[in-house]
Amino acid sequence: MLPEAAELLVLAAAALLFALVFAPAAASRRNLLVQGGTGMVATAAIAVVPTFDLALLTIVGLGVMQAGIPGKRTLAVRLRAPVLAVAVLAFALVFLRVEGPAVLERFAAVGLVAGLAAAVGLFPYIHPFAADEPVAASPIVWIAFVGPVLAAVVLSRAEGLLSVDAGQALAAMLIGLGVINMAWGSIASWLTDDTAAAWRYSFLADWGLVLCGFGLTLSDGRRAALLVLFGIVVGRLPLYLVSREPRAERVTSEGPINLVVAAALAGSAPFVGFAARVLLLRGATQLFWPLALVLALGMLLWLPGSLRLGRSLGRPRGRQAFGVALAVAVNVAAGLYPLPLLAAAKL
Amino acid sequence: MIEGLAGFVAWLGASVVVLSDGRRGLALGAALSTLALAAIVFSGAGPVAGIALGVGGLTAAARRLTVGVAGWGIMPPGSTPRFILCVGGGLLALWIALGVTSGHSSALRFAVITVAGLAGARVLSSGESSVLLTSVALLALATAAASGLTEEALAIWPYVGAAAIAAGVGWLPQSAPRAA
Repeated sequence: MLPEAAELLVLAAAALLFALVFAPAAASRRNLLVQGGTGMVATAAIAVVPTFDLALLTIVGLGVMQAGIPGKRTLAVRLRAPVLAVAVLAFALVFLRVEGPAVLERFAAVGLVAGLAAAVGLFPYIHPFAADEPVAASPIVWIAFVGPVLAAVVLSRAEGLLSVDAGQALAAMLIGLGVINMAWGSIASWLTDDTAAAWRYSFLADWGLVLCGFGLTLSDGRRAALLVLFGIVVGRLPLYLVSREPRAERVTSEGPINLVVAAALAGSAPFVGFAARVLLLRGATQLFWPLALVLALGMLLWLPGSLRLGRSLGRPRGRQAFGVALAVAVNVAAGLYPLPLLAAAKL
Repeated sequence: MIEGLAGFVAWLGASVVVLSDGRRGLALGAALSTLALAAIVFSGAGPVAGIALGVGGLTAAARRLTVGVAGWGIMPPGSTPRFILCVGGGLLALWIALGVTSGHSSALRFAVITVAGLAGARVLSSGESSVLLTSVALLALATAAASGLTEEALAIWPYVGAAAIAAGVGWLPQSAPRAA
């Protein structure tokens, strides 16, 4: 198994454990365990199976199983994205396997990027979102739980299948789509009316950094992508889960804890997002310095949205406060000393 | 000759799924596409793979025959865009399979492209669960059949996996959306 995918799987398991421990008291832990455990097994299967075809079939199976969980969105709405992703990835696979003109490989690269975006739920294939839907049935599963492993698997397999020319096209598309997702996600997270939707858009913005990191084709880019994915799975997802805790009054607060959470979400020092951003800017400078300028300007867009999301936690108390402290502490630890994470992924 | 005929039947079956709203039409389309894909896979990847694919797809078709909107529902009023999609998609797939790409088994290339494309398009254009699940089953079968395009030694697992998904997807509990 790819070391990067193995590490992300472990992180996903930790996020599932967090969800079980810090789920709202009224939530059924048995359902959460069954649904989360099934998702975990399917995600592991995506990483473990020996061929790309089997990984695609696993995505179909996972999409169908998730669509079967009772939720607010219709079956059609929930099935469309994973099915579209698999159809597009299957086309990419066909174009990679058949003999033909070199341009077919470029079409395959388009299919790989489009399929990945559709599966994860990135712009331009943003999954419809219902704010009060259970997390297990919502698009958050794809963007924060399955998506990181899926991206690592798809892009690492693509490296082995594409020619140099098509690989460069893939990298360029990843960077372009990454910049768009950064801007779209961070601005929408700031300006949207609904707080839950703002959280969802903030995942999208982080994925913009991930795509840029994978697109840089330098070791710094890949390291940055891994650290941002760490931040998504072990930072943003747990904080989102805590933010969904029902409270007596939906108040916003600007206490110290809210500012700390906002700083963590914005990727300030000493959190893991900061280390990722430094690596990303260093890689972009090596590759093409104007890109670093664009990325640096884009990173500023995180601030207003993160302040809003930090305030949305209100004044966490009891178990909720412990959950926030745990997520923040893990992010600080990884931000101060990210080398073990990178070494475990052999990066 | 047989492979060419099977490629045409695969397109015909996928087109019937695109053009049908009733469970009989959907079951017929799924069965036709399944038999065609199984025949092509049988000749390329061996009998076990072909039989596995066939059993999975025919189970899905049989299940569809019992659940869904009653009747055939083939080409209901307003289905002209779907008809154009079937003809246009088939011609495009034929051009890609025969004119643009080369290598062994053009029938397999055509069948995979046309079934995956039409099934994917059907999922995007319908909200009816019986239609969606039939299309998902066909997409899984086409994805598995695509593993026959590789030069490497063929494993049985993609075919078995696709058959399991195709056979199982019809039993998905179809819960109605609920309010919070």
